[in-house]
Amino acid sequence: MKLFYLIKKELIEIVRQKELLVLMFVGPVIQIIVLGYVISSDVRHVPVGVVDLSRGRTAARIIQRVRQSPLFDVRYESGRSEDYLHLLKKGEVKAVLVFRDAAERPRAPLHYPEVQILMDGVDSNTSMIAAGYFNGVVRDYILDDMKKLGRGLPLTARATFRFNPQLRSINYMGPGIVAILLTIITMFLTSASLVREKEQQTMDTLLISRLSPLEIYVGKALPTALIGMIDMLIGLLVVVLWFRIPFRGSIFYLFLACLVYLAAILSYALLISVLSSTSQQAMFFSWFSLVLFLLMSGFLTPVENIPPVLRLLADINPLRYLVRIIREIFLKGNGIAYFWKDLMALAAISLALVSLSLLRFKRFISK
Amino acid sequence: MSGPPPAIAVRSLSKNFGRFPAVRDISFDVGREEIVGFLGPNGAGKTTTIKMITGLLKITSGTVWIDGLDSREHPAAIKRKLGYMSQKFSLYPLLTALENIEFFGGISGLAPAQVRRQAARLQEEVSPVILRQKVQDIPPGIRQKVALFVCLLPGPEIILLDEPTSGVDPEARRRFWGEIYGLKTGGKTLLVSTHNLDEAEYCDRILIIHNGVIVAEGEPGELLRIRKQATIEDLFQAAIRDHGQD
Repeated sequence: MKLFYLIKKELIEIVRQKELLVLMFVGPVIQIIVLGYVISSDVRHVPVGVVDLSRGRTAARIIQRVRQSPLFDVRYESGRSEDYLHLLKKGEVKAVLVFRDAAERPRAPLHYPEVQILMDGVDSNTSMIAAGYFNGVVRDYILDDMKKLGRGLPLTARATFRFNPQLRSINYMGPGIVAILLTIITMFLTSASLVREKEQQTMDTLLISRLSPLEIYVGKALPTALIGMIDMLIGLLVVVLWFRIPFRGSIFYLFLACLVYLAAILSYALLISVLSSTSQQAMFFSWFSLVLFLLMSGFLTPVENIPPVLRLLADINPLRYLVRIIREIFLKGNGIAYFWKDLMALAAISLALVSLSLLRFKRFISK
Repeated sequence: MSGPPPAIAVRSLSKNFGRFPAVRDISFDVGREEIVGFLGPNGAGKTTTIKMITGLLKITSGTVWIDGLDSREHPAAIKRKLGYMSQKFSLYPLLTALENIEFFGGISGLAPAQVRRQAARLQEEVSPVILRQKVQDIPPGIRQKVALFVCLLPGPEIILLDEPTSGVDPEARRRFWGEIYGLKTGGKTLLVSTHNLDEAEYCDRILIIHNGVIVAEGEPGELLRIRKQATIEDLFQAAIRDHGQD
């Protein structure tokens, strides 16, 4: 019953901050919609320059295909030999496609110009994908030519994409964004809660009251867990209804995974709150942690790309497991048989963080 | 040993923060139904001592007995005997005064009806309109009154007030000391810290602390007479001189 009063007090304090309310319940909707469009690994409308030195029909047809493709945005066209590098240097284009007439071979059954792709390698990911797209355009052109002559490639591998047949990157990113949102809301709210009590000097009154340390600890975590779950639900609705991402799995497993994750993240946030003397410090700690959690989660880049020395950080990052589980549930519709190992790892991390955080809290109150 | 033990008995109490000795080997008693003023400038060790008595700070060495109970051995029983009001009044600024009362009553294990009954008493003195305002919007004098009310909700026998008069106007201070006196006559024991030396006149006894050491102790009039000083301020300066401190 005493715990009920603490939870009620925490909720009143949150509700009374109108700006915070907007941030908590409207912010996530905006955030998911904006992030959903911005954080996309799809490469489209790559600005390219085209230099046709061959002036042949083949080059003209391939250039026409490039122009018509939504993948490219032709920003520069020329028929003269010149220094193309300055276009890349100025950043006007990401690639320059150069068609050379010297390679037209009159005696060959199929006549093709030589094609050079000059890529801006600064954004290596986009460059690689764009080069791949361009090779695809050229390959498709050649295949069409060969078909007309009754020829074909002796062997082709046809890919079938399951779970996300349209290869929409939002399908991959959307569920991850929900996990990120849950992290942001709960980490910031919780890390500020204990430190605020310290700043207001109400912590002493709580400690001298008849609340046990465990009740204070739980009373601080539960309201934000509740808000986190509501936000997660809002997030789910947005990604499913707005972005039309199919939800194929069990909502029960999703909530189970989120609850286990919340135990980890709330303990971590309370640990931050115990260690911080001011709200400013708590905010800094939270931001620093959030960036690390995000980068090491596999949300933006695959965890496998992380160097082995730093892999341990990814292995103990609870967000990594939640992102993976959410994607499994969302897109593949997998049950617990497929992600129990991730769930166990998440539970172990949660247990460790709860213990560490409680221990530190007890040390703090008996200083 | 005859008679009941003192409400608070402090023996050879010390507290070090790292190498810094905040409180150094102090001993004193607070008798039952007594108002003891704990006087000293900011940083003298008043809050540290009070926090050690409440159990909020770990004792480096020494002992505190509350109503005959060793504070280290009976922390839960001692919690029930003590009421504590910290420097900033310890209220939640975003909650209304009544919500604060309901909250502190609730976590003290009081039934809602009991809390409402007690709150009705306060409403006789303070307008319900003010009590329904957020604490951050009500004047410091009322805030102080609510904080004291909240501190008294669980019915503690011994009350520790840490700088309860800081930041309030002289009139509110005078009224507040009137309430403290009323508590004493109601059977409560009070240890009140303050850096306003003129508040000594309200106390049965005073303890003057400086640099973590108690430099004078006794009934204010008696101390002035023995030390041949005209004011508490003079007494304070003389006590420091006598202890060879500056």
